[in-house]
Amino acid sequence: MKGILKGMGVTFKAMTDKKVTYAYPDVPINMPDRFRGIQHFDPEKCIVCNQCARICPTDCIQLTGKANPDPTKKGKVIDTYDINFELCILCDLCTEVCPTEAIVMTNNFELASYSRDELFKNLDWLNENNQLIRQENNSAMPKKGGEK
Amino acid sequence: MAIRTEELLLNVGPQHPSTHGVFRVVVHIDGEVITSSDPVMGYLHRGTEKLAENLTYTQIIPYTDRMDYVSAMTNNYVLCHAVETLMGLEIPERAEYLRVIVMELQRIASHLLWWGTYLLDIGAMSPFLFAFRDREMILDFFNELCGARLTYNYMRIGGVKWDAPEGWIEKIRNYVPYLRQQLIEYDALVNGNEIFLARLKGVGKYSAEDAINYGLSGACLRSTGVKWDLRKDRPYSIYNRFEFDVPVETEGDCYARYLIRFAEISESLKILEQAVEQFPAEGETMGKVPRVLRVPEGEVYVGIESPRGEIGCHIISKGKDKPYRLKFRRPSFVNLQILPKLLEGETMTNLVTILGSIDIVVGEVDA
Amino acid sequence: MADYVLSAFTWQNGLLFFIWTVITLFAVLGFVTYAIYFERKVIGWMQLRIGPNRVGPLGLLQTVADIAKLLMKEDIIPKAAVRDLFIIAPALTFVPSFVVIATIPFSESITFADLNIGILYYLALSSISTIGIIIGSWASNNKYSLLGGMRSAAQMISYEIPLVLSVVGVILMSSSLNLRVIVEGQLGGVWHWNIFPQIIGFVIFIIAAVSELNRTPFDLPEAESELVAGYHVEYTGFRFAFFMLAEYVYVFAFSAMATVLFLGGWDAPAPFLSFIPGLIWFLLKFSFFVFFLFWIRATLPRIRVDQLMSLAWKVLLPLSLLNILLTVFAIEIHKWIA
Ligand code: SF4
Ligand code: SF4
Repeated sequence: MKGILKGMGVTFKAMTDKKVTYAYPDVPINMPDRFRGIQHFDPEKCIVCNQCARICPTDCIQLTGKANPDPTKKGKVIDTYDINFELCILCDLCTEVCPTEAIVMTNNFELASYSRDELFKNLDWLNENNQLIRQENNSAMPKKGGEK
Repeated sequence: MAIRTEELLLNVGPQHPSTHGVFRVVVHIDGEVITSSDPVMGYLHRGTEKLAENLTYTQIIPYTDRMDYVSAMTNNYVLCHAVETLMGLEIPERAEYLRVIVMELQRIASHLLWWGTYLLDIGAMSPFLFAFRDREMILDFFNELCGARLTYNYMRIGGVKWDAPEGWIEKIRNYVPYLRQQLIEYDALVNGNEIFLARLKGVGKYSAEDAINYGLSGACLRSTGVKWDLRKDRPYSIYNRFEFDVPVETEGDCYARYLIRFAEISESLKILEQAVEQFPAEGETMGKVPRVLRVPEGEVYVGIESPRGEIGCHIISKGKDKPYRLKFRRPSFVNLQILPKLLEGETMTNLVTILGSIDIVVGEVDA
Repeated sequence: MADYVLSAFTWQNGLLFFIWTVITLFAVLGFVTYAIYFERKVIGWMQLRIGPNRVGPLGLLQTVADIAKLLMKEDIIPKAAVRDLFIIAPALTFVPSFVVIATIPFSESITFADLNIGILYYLALSSISTIGIIIGSWASNNKYSLLGGMRSAAQMISYEIPLVLSVVGVILMSSSLNLRVIVEGQLGGVWHWNIFPQIIGFVIFIIAAVSELNRTPFDLPEAESELVAGYHVEYTGFRFAFFMLAEYVYVFAFSAMATVLFLGGWDAPAPFLSFIPGLIWFLLKFSFFVFFLFWIRATLPRIRVDQLMSLAWKVLLPLSLLNILLTVFAIEIHKWIA
C-alpha cells in the first residue's frame, strides 16, 4: 500500500509541474544551428565535381553538368540537380564532402506532402530553399576535394 | 464428462502494441496459459550487412544508425572502432571523451525509453511521459551537437564529426544532478508500487547457465549474477579511466533486469560526471586519416557494451575501401532467442512482461 | 417525485416520465462528455501534458467532436461475426448502466424511483452489463476479444461478491435497502457518515467497484498492451460508442453510489454548512470519486489475472465477511448498552 500511495503522491504533484508540450505548429520549433534539414543548393558555387552524388549512401542525388557557356572559362557548370527526398536520410555526408559548400543544410524540416512526386526536389526548388541556412559548415572533417 | 477444450492459436503481432515494432509471436494458448510459442522476425529486415558490402566505410555509418535506432551512438562507435582497430588509427583524446560522453548519454536515453515503454506494457501510463520528458533533453543535446535527434551519424572513422558547441559540456554537467533528482521521483513513482512488484517478481526466470548457453549479454546476463560488462572486462575507448560499478542481480527474473537497467542509469551518470570533469580544454576531434579510407587486408572483431548487451562488429577486409564482408552481432537478436523457452507455461499477461524485459529493438533484431 | 411514480399510468403521466427520462439521459450524456474531457485533462496534467485544447475554447468541444466522429464512421460488422448478437451486445451493456441511475437520490427532492430495494436493484441490474460484454466478445469472433470477454466474465463474477458483501454492513446499520433511507440515516455532519464505522466496507467497495468498472488497475478485459482493445476490438462507430458510454455511465453510477452509501449523499459535512444546497454537496463528493478514478488511472500499472482472482477470493471476500461480523457485533453491543 505504501508504494502505491507514494506513487500517487508523485502523480498528484505532477499536476502542477511545468508542462512540456510544444505549441507546434502554432509556434514554430527553432532547431539549433547544426540541425540537418532540407538542403539548400547554390548552382553558382557548384563545380560539378560529383562528390556529393558519390558519397551519398542512398544514391538519391542525380546531377548533370554542361560545358561552361562562357567560353573563356574552363570546367563545367551544373545543369540539373535533383534530390529525391523519398530516399534522402539527411545524413549530412553530401554537405560534408562538398568542396565549395554549394550544397548546405538548412534548418527546415517540414517535408510532408500528399504525393510522393512532390518529394522529388529539383535544382530550382533547392535553390529557393534559402531560409535558415546552416551557418557552421566547416565541420571537423577535413575538406577532401577542394585541395586538388 | 470432461469438457472438450481446444488450444487457441493466437498471432501476437506483427502489429501489436506490445511488440515494440513489427515483430510477431505465434502462441498456442490453453485458456490463458501459453503452451508453446514461435517468434517470427524479419519484418524489418533491410539487409544492412549485405548493403554494407557495396558501401564505403563512411557510408556505412548512417546505416548503423538505423539498426538499433534507440541507441545509434553505440552502433556508430562499434563500426568506427572496428575499422580503427583494423587500420591501427590513433584517436585524439578530445574525440574519445566526446565519444564516451555521447555513448553514456545514449545509454541513459535508451534506458529511459525502455523504462517508460516497459511500464506502459505493464499498464502504467505516466512513467512513459515522465521518461520522455528527460529523454527529450538528451535528444536536444544531440541535436545541438550533431544536428539530428535520432539517427546521429556523428562518429567518423578516426574521430567525431563535430566538436562540442559552446556551452554544451556545461549543459551536460548540469544535466547530471538534474537527472539524479528525477530518478528519485521515478523511484517513488514506480519502484515501491506493490502491483508493479507483484507483476515482475519471479516472472521470466532463467539461470546463469541458461543465459550463457543462449549467449545472452547485457542486463539479461547480469540479472543472473554474472558480472560481465565489456566496459570493464574488455575496456575499449577510455573507459578504464572512469570509476563506476556494474550492477548485478542474482534472481534472473524480470525484476532483476528492471533493477539493473534502473541502476545503470545512475552509473552512466557517474561516468558522465567524471568525463565532463576530465574533458580536455582543447584538442583535435579528428585523427590523421588518409583521404581515401583503404582498410588493410585482414579480419577483426570488436565487441562493445551497448545498452542492450554486447554489440559486435566483424569486418573482413580485402584491402579495398569497402568491406568484403561485414557482420554485426546484434544483442537484441541474440537475447531474443531465449523467448520461447521463457514463455512456456506462462500466461498471456506475462508474455508482455517477459518480452518487454528482454528489451529488444526490432530494427536491431532484423537489421 | 415518488408520487408520480406511484400515480396511475395516464397519458399525461406517461409523457412526464418520458420527459424526465430524456432529461436524465441528456444530463448523463453531458456528464459523460465532460467526464471524458476532464479525465483527459487531469491525466494530461499528471503526465506533464496540457490535454485536449484544440477543439473549441480550452478544448471543451473535444469530446463532442470525438462523438460526432464515431457517429459518422462506417458501421462495420465482420463477416464472421454472429450478426444478431453482435448488434444486440452494445445495447445490452448500455441499458442497465442507464437504468440503475433511477434509484440514486441526488438530493432531498431529486430521486427518480424511491425503491425500497434500491441497492438490490442497483447491484442486480448492473451485473447484466457483463452479459452484454461477453456476448459482444464472443459474437465478434475474434480471439483477442474472446480472451477479453472471458477475463471480464471471471472478473465480474469474482468481484460482484465482495461488492455486495461490503454493502451489507451499511445495510445492517441503517436496516434498510432503500438508498434514501440510508442517506437519511447519515444526516448531521461528517461524523455520522458511514465511511468511519464502515471503513473496511468502504475500502472493499472502492476496490471492487473499480474492478467492476474495468478501470485501471483492473482493466484486464481491455488491457491494451496485451489484448489490443479486449472485448470491443471489432466494434466501430456508434456501437463502439455505446460500450464507451456504458463504461462512463458506470463511472457516474458508481461514484454516485459510493457517495450515497458512505459519504452521506447530499448531507453537508457540518450542520452550519447546510445553507449550501444538498445537490452541490452531492456533486462535490461525487466529483471527488470521479477524480480519484482518474488519478489511479494515471498512476497504477495493471494487475495480472491470477493476482486479480486471488485478491478477490483470498483477501476481499474474507475481509468483507469479517466486516459484516464486526458490524453485527457492534450493533448488538450498542443495543445491549442502550
Ligand atoms: S543527406 Fe545523405 S542521403 Fe541525403 S542527399 Fe546528402 S548524402 Fe544523400
Ligand atoms: S559536391 Fe558540391 S560542388 Fe561537387 S557536385 Fe556536389 S554540390 Fe557540386
